[in-house]
Parts: sequence; C-alpha cells; structure tokens
Amino acid sequence: MIYVNDLRKEFKKTIKEPGLKGSVKALFKPNNEIIKAVDGVSFHVPKGEMLGFIGPNGAGKSTVIKMLTGILTPTSGTCEINGQIPQENRQKYVKEIGVVFGQRTQLWWDLALQETYSVLKEIYDVPENEFKKRMAFLNEVLELDDFITSPVRTLSLGQRMRADIAASLLHNPKVLFLDEPTIGLDVVVKDNIRNAIRKINEEEGTTVILTTHDLADIEMLCNRIVMIDKGRMVFDGQISDLKREFGQMRDLCFELNHTDDLSKLNYMADLKLSDADVEVNYEGAAVSVRFDSNAVSVENMLSYTLSKVHVKDINLKDADIEEIIRRIYRQEVSIDEV
Amino acid sequence: MRFKKFIRTYRPFTRAGMLESVAYRANFFCFLIGEIMSCFIMFFVWKAVFASSNGETFMGFTMEDMVVYLFITFLTGYLTYSDGTYAIATEIRDGSIAMRMIKPCSFDMCFLFQELGHKIINVLFIFAPLVIGVEVYRFVITGACQFDIVNFLLYVVSLVLAYMISFYFNVSYGFMAFYLKNLWGADILKECIINFLSGATIPLAFMPQALAKVLNFLPFSSLSYTPVMIYMGMYSAQEIAFKILMQVFWLTVMVLLSKAVWNHAVKRLCSQGG
Repeated sequence: MIYVNDLRKEFKKTIKEPGLKGSVKALFKPNNEIIKAVDGVSFHVPKGEMLGFIGPNGAGKSTVIKMLTGILTPTSGTCEINGQIPQENRQKYVKEIGVVFGQRTQLWWDLALQETYSVLKEIYDVPENEFKKRMAFLNEVLELDDFITSPVRTLSLGQRMRADIAASLLHNPKVLFLDEPTIGLDVVVKDNIRNAIRKINEEEGTTVILTTHDLADIEMLCNRIVMIDKGRMVFDGQISDLKREFGQMRDLCFELNHTDDLSKLNYMADLKLSDADVEVNYEGAAVSVRFDSNAVSVENMLSYTLSKVHVKDINLKDADIEEIIRRIYRQEVSIDEV
Repeated sequence: MRFKKFIRTYRPFTRAGMLESVAYRANFFCFLIGEIMSCFIMFFVWKAVFASSNGETFMGFTMEDMVVYLFITFLTGYLTYSDGTYAIATEIRDGSIAMRMIKPCSFDMCFLFQELGHKIINVLFIFAPLVIGVEVYRFVITGACQFDIVNFLLYVVSLVLAYMISFYFNVSYGFMAFYLKNLWGADILKECIINFLSGATIPLAFMPQALAKVLNFLPFSSLSYTPVMIYMGMYSAQEIAFKILMQVFWLTVMVLLSKAVWNHAVKRLCSQGG
C-alpha cells in the first residue's frame, strides 16, 4: 500500500548573524547551510493499518508527510502510495488520498461550511447520491449539523478540526494523512475525533497515517508506530515491542509508616545505580520510585526497600508509553539499542 | 465532454469567489469609493493641465478625450487587475499553498476561476454605471451620441485578453515568491512599473516617440492601453487587428512562462511554517 524507501530531504538554510548588521550582511552575501530534515527514512504500511508517526518537534515528521502527500519533492529516495508516485502525477494521485494538517485548514475561510463541501464534491467528482450518503455518515460520526451553515471563520477550533477531517474524507480516500489532528483540542473533542477516525478505519478500511504529540492518540488508534528524531528513524514496530524493548521502567509505589524513614532510602548509593536508572518522587508519606528493571531486578528493589523501611501499602506497575518515549527523546536510550 | 467536466470542476470556484467578494460588503464599497475618488483627482489634475495649455488640444487629446481616457483606463485597470501575485505570494509565505496542492485541480485554474467570481461582481457593480456615465458625458459635451457598438464589442474582447495576460503575468510573478519568500516589496515595484509602462498613468501618446514605440511592442501596453484606445476609436481596423494579435501573442508567452516557472519552482518548494 505505502512503500517508503530511503527518503531524504535537504533544505538550504540561510544563516544570519544576529542584529541588523547580520541581517544586512545576509541580504547581500547569504551564508547557506544544508539542513537534513529527513535523513533516510524507510517503512512499509499495509492496507487498512493505522500507523502512528511520532517524534519531537522538528524531527521531520511533517516533512515526511508533505513528501508523501506530494507537496514536497524528496531530495532522494522514493515513496509509492497506491502504486503511484505522489510527485509524478499530482492531480491524479491526490484524488485517492485525504489530508488534514491540524495547524491549517482546507476550508474556505469566508464561506459557510457547506459551501466548502459542495466545492469539494465537484472537484473530486463525487456523484450526488454518494455525496449524500457520505455526508450523512460524516455527520453522524463528527456531528457537523450544528455548524454546517456557519461561516468557517466563526467556528471554534474543535468544530473546525471536525469539519476539516470531514472535508478530507468526502471522496472516500484510500489513505488518510493526519498531521496532528488533535492539536489544541479539549479532552472531549479529542475523544470524538479519535472515535471518528477509528470508525472510519473500521468501516472503510482506510489506511491512516497519523502524526501527533499526544500519545493517547497513538495508544487509542495505532498498533504500530514509527518514531523519528533529527530526521532519522529511531523505532519502527508494534507498541508492545516498544514496551518490551524500552519498557524496563517500572514504578514502585508505597506509603511509609513514618515520613522520616525516607532518609533511610538511598537507592543510588546502596544499589549502585545511575541518575537515569532511578528516580524518587514523594509527597508526604507517599513515595514513588521509578527504576530501570535492567539495571536492578525487581526482587532486589523490593527486598532493599522492605529491609530499610516499614510500609503500609506497596505496588509495582509498568511505566506507560509516554515515559518510554520521553526517555528516547531525551536520548537516554540510544539509537543503537533498537 | 472534457470541457463539461472542466467547467463542472472549476465552476464552484467562481461561485465561491462571488460569495467571497460580497462577504465583506463594507470593504468592497470603501474600496470602490476610494478608487473612484482617485479617478476624480486625476480628472482635476488633467483639467488643470488643459486649462494652462494654449490650444483646445493637448498632444492630440481634447479634454473630452482625456476624460474618456481617464475613466475607461480606470475601468480597464480595475477589471484587468489580478490579485494573483499577492494571493500566491501570501500562500507561499505562510505555507498554505500546501492546502492547494493536496487538491486534484490545477493550481492556476483554481485561482483564475475564483478571481472570475470577483470579476463578475465587479462588472455588475461598476461596469455598466461607468460606461453609461462616460457616454452621457460625451453626449452632453459634444451634443451627439459617440457610442460605437463595434468598438465597444472589440473593447470587450481586448479587455478579456488583457485580463488573461494580466492574470498569467501575475501568476508568474507570484511564483517568484518561491525564491524570494516574501514578495511585498517586489509587488509594489511591479505595480509602479506596470502603471507607468502600460499607459495607465500617462497615455503612451504623451511620451517621447521613441519610448512610446518601444512600449507599444512590450506586453504592458496590452494590459490597458490597447483596449482603451480601441474603445475610444483611436485605431484603424488594421491597427485593431494587429493590436489584438499582439495581445494573443503576449498571452501565449505569459501562459508558457507561468507553466515553466511553476514547474521549476514547485521542485524547490519548501513549505514554510510547519
């Protein structure tokens, strides 16, 4: 369905020295530097899969999406979607994809929302009865009825995002690209949007590629993620694999009988652990210790704790995906480990 | 059949353009009033010029000719004005051009048909009143009806060609934003140069002969001077045929240029702003 092979994109960036003098200098004698925004990304997505694309700000996620949607031309490497190369015949290619950029809108700013849909109906050549059926379905999952006659500029962000997603799905695309579809939305709207995306994927078998900073999006929608950082692939696999590979982080939580006992615990020194391996947080008598179970076994950790202090209650849990990713972003886990 | 499909695809853009045009009514009327006022300023300036000259005519133009020239030039300029440079440059600068590229339609056609929507509204509101006004003025001054239907129809043909040239010129120019990133300064420069070279500020006939001759062959005179001169009946049939062919020639050049620039520019597009 989607084949991406060694995709690269380089930008030329003008380096300016600070201040007016630097700006003027750059005006006449620009000092260029090549930035590798995407540096050799390859992956494959089968039909009907929902793939989460994550990475810190500036990692190159959007650049990849823009190449896959035919907006940018790769410096080198290839991508093929539905057997087509996006840059080759753009107009034909985009008929089969839907795109939402969370930070932009494809709706007509000054017109009533339904006008946008009737424009889209014509340019995508959607037959009348198909259009009606489609609108009814989108109305149902995205609840557009309340604001479909309002000018787009008067919509709230949540309404606009729902409207944008509907716009990208009107022509029943085979692949849907969502670039941060839940950015800036409240919890309820986020939930609505996630449900809508899942429903569309289930009912139409639409392949979805999604970038986000909200890992709840990933956990609720995707079973596979591709992580990139500084333009390079850092991880490609199931979320469960990610947990298994990097999920040695455990949380040991307990409540002390005596708050003063806390000083008796010195994990780093006594168990010879480094900063990255253990982290202690406490609030009154409640203590939580996050540790790397590769560096110290659960057994050692428990027996050490229990030997030092008396506890009321104790439990042990897996760290969530968010923590794992935070560690990867911070580069506590290096690329070689993948 | 393909033509029908073509119209079906792009017609909504025209409709949307019309709706857009009237969405900000106050803005539309303020703009219109401002433009007409500047037209009257030019009228009084030329009136002073004629009052201080010795004869009835000034460089072959009577005051009556001058008034017709001013207002028809204004009308022509208004209707052939294309927002392409600004619109494209803005979209490139803020990166929203990406939203156009994910749609299965031709970039320039979307712009063209959208702008046609604006033009239809403009024609409804200002074309008829201005033409009637000018003709009434001519009738009052000369005591006879000066309106020539053949010249008028040829004017309309020439006007449409002028608009298309203007559109493709502006599209090509707008694509320069791919290289310059922000086109504001270059756009102002362009406006000034065009207004001068197209004869919109001063009739080409008033310029030194050598310069006027050169300018007549450049694309700029096709934008405004040619249709206005046709309207005023200043050209012989032969001249009209030649001038319109000239317009067709420049239109072809501009279309090809815009395609070439687009094909080159799109490869080095770097979407700005995330």
